[in-house]
Amino acid sequence: MRYHLSQDFTCTAPAVWGLVYKFTCICYRSLDRIFDIVYWPVISLLLWGFTSRFVSTTSSSSGIMEFFVGGAVLWSLFWRAQADVCTFILEDFWSRNIYNLFASPVTPLELFCAIGLIGLVRCLLSFVFLGLLAWFLYAFNILLLGGTAIAVFTTVLLLFGWVVGIVISALIFRFGLRIQVLAWSVGFIIQPFSCVFYPLASMPRWVQVIAVTLPTTHVFEGLRHAIATGELAVRPLVIALGLTCGLLIAALLFFQYALLQAKKRGLLTRFEMA
Amino acid sequence: MPLLEIRDLRKRYGAVEALKGLSLDVERGEFFGLLGPNGAGKSTTINILLGLILPDSGSIRVFDQDFAIQQVAIRRRMNVAAAFTSLTGVLTVRENLKVYGRIYGVRNLERKIDELLERFEITELAQRKLQYLSSGQHTRVTLCKGLINDPALLLLDECTLGLDPDIAEKTRRTLQEFQREQQTTILFTSHNMHEVEELCGRIAFLSKGEILRIDTAARIKSLIPHHVLEVRFGPGIDLSPFRHLDGTPQAELGGDSTLRFVLDDPERQLDSLLRRLTRAGGHIADIQITRPTLEDVFIKVARGEI
Repeated sequence: MRYHLSQDFTCTAPAVWGLVYKFTCICYRSLDRIFDIVYWPVISLLLWGFTSRFVSTTSSSSGIMEFFVGGAVLWSLFWRAQADVCTFILEDFWSRNIYNLFASPVTPLELFCAIGLIGLVRCLLSFVFLGLLAWFLYAFNILLLGGTAIAVFTTVLLLFGWVVGIVISALIFRFGLRIQVLAWSVGFIIQPFSCVFYPLASMPRWVQVIAVTLPTTHVFEGLRHAIATGELAVRPLVIALGLTCGLLIAALLFFQYALLQAKKRGLLTRFEMA
Repeated sequence: MPLLEIRDLRKRYGAVEALKGLSLDVERGEFFGLLGPNGAGKSTTINILLGLILPDSGSIRVFDQDFAIQQVAIRRRMNVAAAFTSLTGVLTVRENLKVYGRIYGVRNLERKIDELLERFEITELAQRKLQYLSSGQHTRVTLCKGLINDPALLLLDECTLGLDPDIAEKTRRTLQEFQREQQTTILFTSHNMHEVEELCGRIAFLSKGEILRIDTAARIKSLIPHHVLEVRFGPGIDLSPFRHLDGTPQAELGGDSTLRFVLDDPERQLDSLLRRLTRAGGHIADIQITRPTLEDVFIKVARGEI
């Protein structure tokens, strides 16, 4: 029997609304999900904020605090977006609800739309909280970057976070819960190559080759350029946005492929896939 | 036209052939049972019908639509209640039902949820988190979820597992009422033979990925043709002469002055056997005929004796 793949890309409002309702309930019923909006981002902000304060006292360069704190605040957006996709998918594995969810008329596109909507709200909450904390602790006003810059930076970071989250989710469907650790660790692998706290030019050549393929690198290069010159470098950001959109489509197709493989192997009906 | 048509469904996992060309028709409004030992292919069939497993070949038509092309639309008119599955543990019972009600686009959802909770006698659990429920309560919530969209096709996989006999009986009655009211087609699997016999009009008996027979419970039981006749004689009688009477089946000695005869054709054999025993001087105190049950058939199938 040949499965018609186009069905997985249909999207209806009731299904998305039902899933958004579920994720909202999970958020306010589960302390973990409330806590993780602020916990790791705040730790990161404190770490890099105090590091930059120390470096500022030993260096004559200007803008060090802005580079580090701005990097920490924006990086939390990517990390939050990526982790939210994985966590909300994993919630259904942990609850053994995957069976009922995929037996319902929910499609993968509806699932990711719902996760995207709830993830967007959570990312914005996290971003606002960190922005206020950065202003309070380090007198760094992220709004000085300008509305356009913030909009472009956050869009690219959110979308790329979802790309990575979708790819990890696909791998979880294919290989089971034994690789769930990727949900929290892949961000740490991507971070050194994204030039969050240092310029691309300072990296070894081979790292630069990898780094330029990541949309996140262009965001943080753009951030430093905006802080240093007060201007937005449009071209690399447009490239980053285009690249991210392409990767998002590729990630959805990869997830669809992984889901199909899981269905062929009967993995969706085995709840303890670890 | 059948509501569900399955043709030549095949599924293989490596060297194991889970389904070997299964074909099946289920009529609209039918309560249909899938019966068979572990590994017979019941759950694989159900999971393929839910779109959770992709078959290697074969075709499925549901509501006169091709399942391969219209799967999402078909799943909107179906539902499932299966043991061993769960809903979201941190959510309350009502929240879980609201999630699925919204996914299925149910109108007057709050009223529908109240009605289902009342039907399964779990109204008082509405605000309890699912993770704190007992297995029996959990099973009833899963059934509420299965009925939330008034499905035209309902798949029930071991759905009464973990219920005490009283609640299980009420649940069966509720399912029968629901099926009568909504004219729902129900595909039912269970290891409880009594339950299958009570609920299902027709049963498909599966073994090793194949259908052995599709029929009513009564006819499936006829796969074991013989009845067992137990004859208890008056006390102190020597039973040896009655064990090998001419023209009667050989008997085994039972306890308490009893002989056990296996009758291949009870309608023809019973009368003549009892006459011969009486004529031979046997004082019969009591007789008991044991007919084959669905469980007997099940055990023989599982052991490969049928």
